[in-house]
Amino acid sequence: MTPESVSHLQRVLERAARILRIGALVNGALAGLILVLGIIGALRIFPDMFATLHRLLLFNTPGADDATVTGAMLLALLNLSLLLVLGVGALARETWTLAALFALALANLGALIGLGYTLAPLTIAFALYTLYVILRDRIARGAFRPNPVMIKELRGRMRGVRAFVVLTVYLSLMGGFAMLLYLIYSTAGRDPGSAAAGEIGRVLFNGVFAVELLLIIFIAPAFTAGSITGERERQTYDLLRTTLLSNASFVIGKLESALGYVMLLLLAGIPLQAFAFLFGGVSETELLLSLTILVITAITLGTIGIYFSAGNERTLNASVRAYSTTLILLFVVPSVISLILAVLNGFLFGVSGLFPYAPLEAVFVYLSHFLTSINPLAAAVTTQNLLVTQQIAGFYPFTLSVDGTTIPLASPWINFSILYTAAASILLTLTIRAVRNLDERELPHTV
Amino acid sequence: MTDMIIVTKDLVKQFGKFTAVNGLSLQVPAGSIYGFVGPNGAGKTTTMRMLTTLTRPTHGEAWVAGHSVTADPRAVRRAIGYMPDEFGVYDDMRVWEYLDFFAACYDIPENQRKPLISDLLELVDLTHRRDDMVDKLSRGMKQRLSLARTLAHDPSVLILDEPASGLDPRARVEIRELLVELSKMGKTIFFSTHILADVSEICTHIGIIEAGQMIAQGSMNDMRAQLQPHREITVTVKDSDAAALVRSTLESFPGVIGIKDLEPKGGRSLVRIDYSGDDDGVAAMSGAINGAGIAVLGFNEETKDLEAIFMRVTKGIVT
Repeated sequence: MTPESVSHLQRVLERAARILRIGALVNGALAGLILVLGIIGALRIFPDMFATLHRLLLFNTPGADDATVTGAMLLALLNLSLLLVLGVGALARETWTLAALFALALANLGALIGLGYTLAPLTIAFALYTLYVILRDRIARGAFRPNPVMIKELRGRMRGVRAFVVLTVYLSLMGGFAMLLYLIYSTAGRDPGSAAAGEIGRVLFNGVFAVELLLIIFIAPAFTAGSITGERERQTYDLLRTTLLSNASFVIGKLESALGYVMLLLLAGIPLQAFAFLFGGVSETELLLSLTILVITAITLGTIGIYFSAGNERTLNASVRAYSTTLILLFVVPSVISLILAVLNGFLFGVSGLFPYAPLEAVFVYLSHFLTSINPLAAAVTTQNLLVTQQIAGFYPFTLSVDGTTIPLASPWINFSILYTAAASILLTLTIRAVRNLDERELPHTV
Repeated sequence: MTDMIIVTKDLVKQFGKFTAVNGLSLQVPAGSIYGFVGPNGAGKTTTMRMLTTLTRPTHGEAWVAGHSVTADPRAVRRAIGYMPDEFGVYDDMRVWEYLDFFAACYDIPENQRKPLISDLLELVDLTHRRDDMVDKLSRGMKQRLSLARTLAHDPSVLILDEPASGLDPRARVEIRELLVELSKMGKTIFFSTHILADVSEICTHIGIIEAGQMIAQGSMNDMRAQLQPHREITVTVKDSDAAALVRSTLESFPGVIGIKDLEPKGGRSLVRIDYSGDDDGVAAMSGAINGAGIAVLGFNEETKDLEAIFMRVTKGIVT
């Protein structure tokens, strides 16, 4: 490529990314609008607000009006996250971006036809127009390739016996742990297929899931927190910056390689989780949902790590900040606030509540539900509970104690997934900005 | 006038209150080997970092291969190969992987990389270390590998920060030879150094920087002429009588500023002539002495070495 075509390619890619960012903003604005209208509807200012919104937004979806409106908002948020990620992917010239843009357009088309999701054409238009901008340009079309940083990192990581040993040790420990659980819970007379055996299956499944989740919480930020600071510390960062590698390619490549390894560990653990099927008591839905939660947790926590890695000079600082943020976000905030909420809830809305006002109680319910959705473990436990006791994996009505009216709630894994994907996509965008900012406010370089 | 491939205009870089580069104007002709010389802390690295788009100038502008470093940094990156003064080590990489990675970063398609890597390794004489880990290489080899890396995308300009620092004499000579070789391949080589021997050995052009300002630059010949206001010619003759004859012959020779007897050496008399004329004048002077029938044992012009030039122009200001 000549220097001129390099500049040209950059212009095309930036244009594509800008289109997708605008699409994300439009979806965000629409989600906000639906939220505002929903609040107005909940306050019962206009009696048929939810029914109208239902007809307008998801005309082909059966179900309660308020639940479908919430669903439409969540869909808009999901589109926002995906468009943001794809914007970064386009800048990074990731091959999967092209396929994903197409898939996103298709999925929205499916939502339009199947659910009657009337906002889908917007996202379809943004996705297809971006594809057109990229594909009509000969240079841009040819520029999409496997990420060089990812290949380099994976080559290093998977070299020799180290990766093999780590995987073996990990699986042995997990296997030992599962065995221990089995030994503790198994007693004579629990035949396969019986209710008691199902209990063993459940314990095994939950145990393995909990360990994997903990592992991800501790590994994912660590893998990524050192990824950018490490290049600075090894003084290889300047070398990369004088090449044609863009900030987006650099960040995405680092993230891909770190997450690739975490995914390998997760996939290797699936057979262990699947052992639970031998005993019964666990459904495929549970396995799928648990995997979804694990993967999304890994991606988001990995993104938190890389965000701090971009904004700090030293790996130590980046790691400390990534871990403290993760722990505060995952444990401190949900536990403290839900404690306060629980106390206030009983105090205000209980049987002899001081303040029996239904909309306020609804706000409280949503808040505590939101907090449940921040923590992957809480989200998983609640989701499983709903699934086992009520066979609910989607939306369900919740009855307020004040006046017996119902409000729609989504099973926590839905909120969790959308919340975490949105957080990851925004953090990713911010990370690339942070890399650029750190380049700008550079320190004097002494000879 | 030849094309200038690197041009800077009143380049200024400030870090807070500290001014690292102060109004630097630099001109590097295409195809030259340009030695960028200056005391430590003079602003060499900062200048190079601005030219390689790693840091933005506070004021002023710089163009590399016709592209502005501020307006079109990616085009500049495509045109340059940069080697910083420290070798960035990836500890878990093989030699070929190292080159493959950077070639990929320069968007060289995968099917072209394999032959490219072979060529590059051959050029820097590392073919036999192709599958070795990078961190097992000696410093000289790493430096050569680094040079191979800067060549991966066939840039027209190489910007090298202290390419020979910390190398043993043999490795230094090897790098020097490699630079000459690359220059013959048509690359412009802009390198900073404080080893003046390297500069006088291979450079066609030189720029001397001090306290963030360019204090002298030009081709090596121009610099010598510019910095030496007159020539010093030493004539060696058999005895003092012959020396006296030289004096009387040249006293009225046009352009001669002064004549001085030097201490006799090994029984021979030496006369030093300060002369302000050009090459033809020197030849005429030699002819005049011969015409006077003086037996001349030696007639040579003292060339001042680069160190003397450097000491004369720099003031020893270190920021």
